[in-house]
Amino acid sequence: MLEYRNLVKKFGERTILKGINLKINQGEIVFILGTSGTGKSVLLKNTVGLLKPDAGEIWIDGEEVAGFSEFEFLKIRKKCGMVFQHPALFDSLTIYENIAFGLRKHFSLSESEISSRVNRALKLVNIHDINDKRPAEISYGMQKRVSLARTVALEPKVLLFDEPTTGLDPVTTNAINELIKDLSRTLKTTSLVVSHDMPCALSIADRIVVFDQGQIVDQGTPQELLNSKVKLVQEFLAEAKEMLDHDSNVIRGTTS
Amino acid sequence: MTTIYRDVYSFLELVKKTVMSLFLKPLRVKETFQQLYFVANGSLWIIVFCVCFAAVVTILESSFHMKLVIQNDSMVPGFASLLILRELGAVVTALLLTSRVGAGIAAEVGSMKVTEQIDALRMLGIDPIQFLLIPRLIATTLGCMILCVVANLICIFAAMIISDQVLGYTPSMFLTAMNRFVQFRDLIFSVVKAMFFGMTIPMISCFFGFRCKSGADGVGSATTQSVVFASISIIFLDFILSYTFSYFY
Repeated sequence: MLEYRNLVKKFGERTILKGINLKINQGEIVFILGTSGTGKSVLLKNTVGLLKPDAGEIWIDGEEVAGFSEFEFLKIRKKCGMVFQHPALFDSLTIYENIAFGLRKHFSLSESEISSRVNRALKLVNIHDINDKRPAEISYGMQKRVSLARTVALEPKVLLFDEPTTGLDPVTTNAINELIKDLSRTLKTTSLVVSHDMPCALSIADRIVVFDQGQIVDQGTPQELLNSKVKLVQEFLAEAKEMLDHDSNVIRGTTS
Repeated sequence: MTTIYRDVYSFLELVKKTVMSLFLKPLRVKETFQQLYFVANGSLWIIVFCVCFAAVVTILESSFHMKLVIQNDSMVPGFASLLILRELGAVVTALLLTSRVGAGIAAEVGSMKVTEQIDALRMLGIDPIQFLLIPRLIATTLGCMILCVVANLICIFAAMIISDQVLGYTPSMFLTAMNRFVQFRDLIFSVVKAMFFGMTIPMISCFFGFRCKSGADGVGSATTQSVVFASISIIFLDFILSYTFSYFY
């Protein structure tokens, strides 16, 4: 479904992606973990043509897209939806218009079809009765969900999530993670999630890929990653364990 | 030096894409009128206030220096009118629009870039140049031309009042002197200058907005750079256009 072959991306003298080779199968949920600045978001942006790779190939649905023009990428962006780190909603539009915006551009739909797809997308992310509000009038967590709804409304085959739970409280984080899982199962989409959230990756990912300094240092199923000998993976696991212990202590009331 | 060439190349690329979008893609009419209202109506009183004082300074300074050199300021009304129409009206209007409208555009587009709204637009199949730049380009160009005419009229009116009250030249004397010095094409050239200035402001502001780096300082830096470069460009363009128009006299 999605494959990267020797993908290289540089910013000036700095090489961000150093020959990434990765294949993602249809319907798979793949988490990309790694410290900040290792090129995880850059990989996603290269996938949909928001950045151009310096070398290598990107295959989506049997098509090599790395050399595509902005116009040619339009059809790829219909197939691949991206949820950004920021909600990236348009301030001047209502929630309804934000979601309908892409539908009007990408498809020739009647107003009733657009309305039904907007409402279906909002229902999928568990949001009701905010159609006429503007982004500034709803919480950050809700904005993130609306951003997800905007992408889901286009019914893409591939969903790319760039740190979807950054800056959210634990309750909303869990809700968003459950949503990613549910959407991938119900809509049969392939999901590529960039995240720092190891506990979540262990619970919902089919496969976890670990990035360090622009390279893949380890990958496997959550079970395989638990036995990894790679130092960075062990550090992530230790951090995850500490977080889980802390949470359970808070629940038991032994830690403030 | 390579960076300067790269930046100039990027700017010319943006100009090329803008021209293509302008003629090949549909215009967002409602957004364009909203922007025109913001540019023209929103800046009117600031421009009227500033050009009035510019007129006062022009009249008083011209009179002072003419009296100093040739012991006579009878040419001041005609000379001041010419200066207002050929230079002051258009340049002061454009510089004020740069700080009010240009800074606003750079900050708005820069914030959209930082919060990934520009990327979101591209993901939804919408060209950010067509969506953001074109309405602002048309609105600022038209707004600058309209404001330039208004600024010229107000500026001359203020100059006429000061000539009457301070120098003792009645309005009829002022208009007679003006009629001798000024030609209709001076007003036309002034509006042509305003058109070029009006195109420059949103182009430069959007250019810096589109390449804004993340963070609050990124938006601040984009805004500052856009105001500085737009102001320099207006002064430089004024020289080029004045020099070119001198061949028509």
